[in-house]
This record gives sequence, structure tokens and C-alpha cells, in this order.
Amino acid sequence: MAGKPNDAPATYSPSLKNKKHPFYKNSDLDWVRPDGRGFHQCRPAFFRTGAVNAASGSAYAELGNTKVIVSVFGPRESKKAMMYSDIGRLNCNVSYTTFATSVRGQGSDHKEFSSMLHKALEGAIRLETFPKTTVDIFALVLESGGSDFPVLISCASLALADAGIMLHDLVAAVAVSSLGSNLVIDPVSEEESYQDGSLLITCMPSRYEVTQLTITGEWSTSRINEAMELCLDACTKLGKVMRSCLKEAASTTTD
Amino acid sequence: MGAQKNTGDWSSDMEIDAFRRLFPLRFYERHLTEAIRPDARPLKKCRDTSVAPGAVATADGSALAKIGSTTMLASIKMEVMTPSVDSPDEGNIAVEYYMPPICSPIVRPGRPAELAPVIAKQLSNTLLSSGMIDLKELSIISGKAAWMAYLDIYCLDADGALFDAALLSAVAAFSHLNIPAVSLNDEGKLTIVSEESNGEENVEKEPVNRDRRKLTISSIPLSLTCVLHKNYILADPTGEEESIMETSITTVLNTSDQLISLYKPGGPVLASTASIKECVSLTRQRIKELQDILSDSFASMDMN
Amino acid sequence: MTALSLGERLFIQGGIAQDLRADGRGRLDYRTLYVETGVIPQANGSARVRFGGTDVIASAKAEIGRPTLLQPDKGKVSTHVDCSSTAAPMFEGRGGEELSSELSIALQRCLLGGKSGAGAGIDLSSLIIVEGKVCWDLYIECLVVSSDGNLLDALGAAIKAALSNTGIPRVQVAADAASEEQPEVDISDEEFLQFDTSSVPVIVTLTKVGRHYIVDATPEEESQMSSAVSVSVNRKGHICGLTKRGGAGLDPSVILDMISVAKHVSEQLLTKLDSEISAAESREEDK
Repeated sequence: MAGKPNDAPATYSPSLKNKKHPFYKNSDLDWVRPDGRGFHQCRPAFFRTGAVNAASGSAYAELGNTKVIVSVFGPRESKKAMMYSDIGRLNCNVSYTTFATSVRGQGSDHKEFSSMLHKALEGAIRLETFPKTTVDIFALVLESGGSDFPVLISCASLALADAGIMLHDLVAAVAVSSLGSNLVIDPVSEEESYQDGSLLITCMPSRYEVTQLTITGEWSTSRINEAMELCLDACTKLGKVMRSCLKEAASTTTD
Repeated sequence: MGAQKNTGDWSSDMEIDAFRRLFPLRFYERHLTEAIRPDARPLKKCRDTSVAPGAVATADGSALAKIGSTTMLASIKMEVMTPSVDSPDEGNIAVEYYMPPICSPIVRPGRPAELAPVIAKQLSNTLLSSGMIDLKELSIISGKAAWMAYLDIYCLDADGALFDAALLSAVAAFSHLNIPAVSLNDEGKLTIVSEESNGEENVEKEPVNRDRRKLTISSIPLSLTCVLHKNYILADPTGEEESIMETSITTVLNTSDQLISLYKPGGPVLASTASIKECVSLTRQRIKELQDILSDSFASMDMN
Repeated sequence: MTALSLGERLFIQGGIAQDLRADGRGRLDYRTLYVETGVIPQANGSARVRFGGTDVIASAKAEIGRPTLLQPDKGKVSTHVDCSSTAAPMFEGRGGEELSSELSIALQRCLLGGKSGAGAGIDLSSLIIVEGKVCWDLYIECLVVSSDGNLLDALGAAIKAALSNTGIPRVQVAADAASEEQPEVDISDEEFLQFDTSSVPVIVTLTKVGRHYIVDATPEEESQMSSAVSVSVNRKGHICGLTKRGGAGLDPSVILDMISVAKHVSEQLLTKLDSEISAAESREEDK
């Protein structure tokens, strides 16, 4: 019978014969991004709340080829083993589908993303409004097309709002990749695999506060300045898109 | 609702939502006597159903199926394998069914749903025994190479009739499947013939596998799940209905009107022959609906 | 977790505001730094670093491996942190796992640079033996022996010390190997190549308590933090990685200010650490 991994024969994915030329070389100052965008131009963002009926709140986000769903459950009873806590708990989990990447992988849990998602969101949630209980935030990356993590965070904050969890503000996240002498915003997978460094900001746009900031690679202070400004600017714009998505959802339910 | 003058019944004083939570069975039975369901459906009506082929860009074939709010995303990835000695000119299909934690409050990370392996097994049995796909069509070079079709179905939203939705998405994904054209390279491995360089490549290399092609899909298996409660039969139950009334019958028929499987996993109600017949005839009607939905969705996709 | 009374909390916060902390330090002063190298004989390099009561061991082990298809001209480095349950009662059982993975991710981010390898503290291309075929896999294992605050900085310093103590064996490659096959390698057990650690950054964690930032926080001080920023800085003064910890949001200008303070502090820490490392190495040779 098929479907059992133990007796399934070894398979391989037939790859393309002629390898793609890298779109970018270190020496080039002027190159075109794989999807033809400007260096400082984000992909158009699409958000929709209420994607999953079974959840207390949910959201779907799509930026280019990156597609994610986040469901929020609760606040519900914490696990029995948990000790008493006078503020609420968050429990985050991020997983990928087997078809998220172009090579069929194992739909695996992303421990790293799970803990980072927790940290990016906890500053925005009013945990004191649901003592003794847990809010579960589960995310599934349907397709990975680059900048998966920032998209996840923005989507998760919308799902939280959809679930009626008290928030200080929505959390918008944007990443910047450093490629040679250029800074490119909202990188796609191809760009991410060539990047010299990356900077990710998650922020609450209306409060103008950064909840999470990670930098990899070597950066000078002035470059960090430049990248942060780019990100914050994009976060503000993204925050507006997210806000209008929520407003739209609210106006259709009251009609 | 009918005016009940039952003195021992304090349900009339209660808000409907509270009553629904506290006495779910009585809540449903009241509805059933009126031959209506809480979501305003008659007993034998199915929920709105839709199919969207080609939902996953990275897959060779994919489809999103929705029955009510139950949502399934199916994707097929083709990989090359060496066929087994017993059947050198046949490919194979591997079916995986996932219920990620996003789909239902019951599923928690690290603790998979009990239901998932049951549905996975049912799906792979149904797809392979129905003869929908001729495995010989998946052969590339007899005895050397054949296609392994990895079918991965993700439940994105669970609200009853999971098997029906999963099967529908699987069938739609196979109808959408395009088998890539491949050729043999020097190392004896198969590589995909890219579309733009198609002409010249084929001249110098022996094309092993013609062009991109579709599978021939003979009779399609489709299903309907019904819930039995006392003498009532409810078609296409929601998650709430399934959890309250525990007896269900899943009937799988193919489009040539042959019975492929009938599944009744226990439950407190014993099904009479008459009710089984009723279920089969309901399924027959449902399949006609589903076929229309499938052909409509593919027609509208081709237009775009 | 450290449970503090209101009085203790106010004492710590007030002390920090007045630039005089509970143990007599100023806001930007480190505790006594102690470095010992070569503590694990079977590793290629190892070091033990103490920051006050925080005690960590790092070891580097090199093994022959294959480079990845994506980066055929680079070796591989992996970091792993283990929080021993002797270090703190909360690490018992699986309690330390979350912190362990958090620390190893933060270390990886600070040491390995971007995906293309640019700006990495460890030069991955120096780990290559035959391009596309053979490379060194460097396993950096860290153990937290005793936890008394500021783990990440201590781990970063321990790794830097361990790497400067690391000798990678010289390798002879059989020249006649056919191009298709995996070439045979001969590892010398006498000749070692010294690892270049000049570009390995140090990590400075600034903990924000009230409106001020402190370095090298004790657990009591860490429990009062609103947020913390860990910055890794190399000798050139460039930022090689940054992680923000703690929930509360920060104003972007505050972050930039913290980065510049961290840069300033890192210079002193680098000098101090380098002199401690060379002192430790000369002690080891004397033995």
C-alpha cells in the first residue's frame, strides 16, 4: 500500500536541466529584482480575517508567493501542569506544509519561528486581561515565497484582533535584506538566499514602538539607520492596510 | 419554535445559546421534529460547496475544496522512483492527510488528531481501489523509472464531513495535475524539460516522456457522509452535528454509479437496510451536484 | 525566577537610576572577568569564562564533512548550548530547552553573519579543504555550569576564547583522486593551524531598567528589565548581529542610542577580553 513511509521507495524530484543564472552578482550595482520591483518597493499585501471558522479568530495573508494562515484559539484553560499566573499566557506554533517550498520537504515545526513569534507579539498583547488562561496562536505557512516570518507576524496580529484579544496596537513586520551595496525591502526567497545580511523590525505603528528587532550580518551604524527608517516607513504603510482590512471585516458583519 | 407547555421543561426561560450549549441533544431534537437544522438547512440538504483548482503554485496539481466552512487544500507533487519488481510498469500514489493545529480547537501541536490517520487510510484505500487512475499511466521507462505522485491534503478548517471534502479536493487536484515533461540526462537521472528550451533540447536528447500531459481520469469517486439519529437522516453534517449525534455513514460511489465503499464506524444507532438505501440514494444525488461543481470550476479556470 | 519584594525592587531600580548598583558597580561596569583556556583536552579548543557568578564552558570540535550544494566553497559551523540543571533549578528536566535554543539561535545570528556568509565572525571559507568535496564541520558546544545573569555575553566571550585556543589539524589531500570521487584526506596529528579570531565579535547585552541601560545584569536586575538588546560588535566597530529580548516595545531612537552605547562598551570589553585570553594562554603554556 502506498502512503506508508517505511516501504515507500526512494524518490527524487527531477530538477531543471539548465540551472538558472543568478539574478545578481556582487559587482553589479544595478540589477533587476526577480519580480521586477524597485529596491524600496514592497509587494502588494492582501489580508483577510476570519479564514478559519473553527477558530476564535483567524487571518490569511498573501504577499506575492508567500501565503500564510494563522488561527487563534482561546483564551482557554491553561495546561494542567502550568502554575497559577495572574497574567495570560501565549502559546505559539509555526509549521510549514510539505509543499511550501519547491522541493517537497517534510511539513515540519519551526521551533525558532515559534519562539520569535511569541516575542514579537507579547509586547502588544494586554496579557493582564486574561489571567490564568492561555491564548494559542497557531500558524501554517501554505507557501513560502520569502519574508515568511514578517508576514507571519503581521498575519498573527490580525488574527488576534479578529479573536477579540485586547491589543495595545496591531503589530506590523517588515524585513530588509542587504545585497552588496543595496538595501532591498521585503525580499523574496531568491534574494534571501543571496543576502549578506538582514534586518527585521516588528513594530506597533500607531505607538511607534519596536517590539522585536533582529539583525544578522555585518552592518555599519549608518546603514542600520537607513534600513530601520525604510522598515519603519513600510510598517506604517502596512499597518494602514491591516487596519483597513479589520474595518472592512467589521463593517460587513454589522450590515 | 413550537410552543411547548411542558411544565418540567425550563428551557423556555433560557436563552437559546445557553440552551444549545447545555442541552445540545435536546436542542437538536427540537429542530429535527420541525424537519429543519439550526443552520436553516432541510435535513437532506448539503452545504454550499466550491472547488478552486490550481491553488498551490509550487505543485504539479492542486485544488482547494470547501464544503460549508470545512476547507481542504490538496497538492500533488510528482517525483521519480524506481518501480517495484512486482509491477515494473506502474507508478504509485502516496496519500498523506494532515490536520495542522490551525484547523480545529481539538488539535494541539505535538498531539495529532485521532481522526487524521483514519481519514488518511480511508482516502488512500478509496483512491487506489476506485480505479480512477491507471497506475500504468504513471510509468516513464518500464522497470527503470516511474512517477510517484505525492498527494498531500491539509485540512485548513474542520467543520464536519472531513472525508467528503478531502476526497473532493483530491479528485480535483488529480484532474488539475499536469505531469511534467522529462528527459534522461547523462548520469541516468531524469530532468525536467523547461518549456522555453523545449524545441532544441528535444533534438539532441531523446525525450523520454513526450510533452506535459494530463492523466486520463476514468470514473471519479465521490462521497457523502450522513448522520443517523433515531429515524432521522442528516446529510452533510457540521462538526457540531457530528459530535452530538455519533452515528455516521460515509458512502463512496463513483460516477458510473458503482459502490466503492460504505463506512459505518459503530455508533449508538443501528442502521436498517432502508436507511442505508436512503443514504446511497442521497449520495447518488449529491454526486451529480458535485460533478457539476467540478466541471464548472474547471471551465471557469480554463476561461481565465 | 527571582521573586523580589517591593522594597528590593525599588532598591534595585533606585540604585540603577543613581548609577550605583547593589554590588557597587556603575551602570556600564562589568563584573570580574575570568578566562581559562584549554579546559577540555579532547576538544580542538576550549575555554571557561566566568562573569561574576555566571560560569560557562565552550568547546570547539572540528570534524571532516561535506560542504552543502548551495555553498560549495564554505565549511559549516553549528552552535549548541546546553543549560545544565546544576546551573539553576528551573533548568531541571526540559525546563532549560527553550532557553538553550534561544541562546544558540542568538549566538548563531551573532557569529555567522548573513546567508551569503558576509560579515561572519568565523570565516567559513577558511574551513574548506577541497571545494565542493571536503570541508571542516566546526561544532561549537557550550555548557552553562552556573547561571547568574548575562548568559549570552558570557557565552559569546567563551566562544571567542575557545576559538582562539583552537588548532585545526593540517590536512593533506591525495592529489591523484579522480574528480568524481570523494578525495582521500590525511589528517596530521602534529601540525595545527591557528584559528584566526580577530574578526570574532563580542556580544554586549544592554538591559533597560526604567530609563537607563545597564551591562552585565544580575538575575535580580534582569527580573526588573522592560527589555534588553544584545548587540554583537567586531573590532572594526561594525554591528554583526542584534537581538531584542523582552516584550515591551522600544522607541526606534532609543534602540539606536542603545546600539551606540553598546559599541562604546564593546571596545572596552574586547580589549579586556583579549588581554585575559592571552594571559590565560600563557598560564596554560606554563603548566
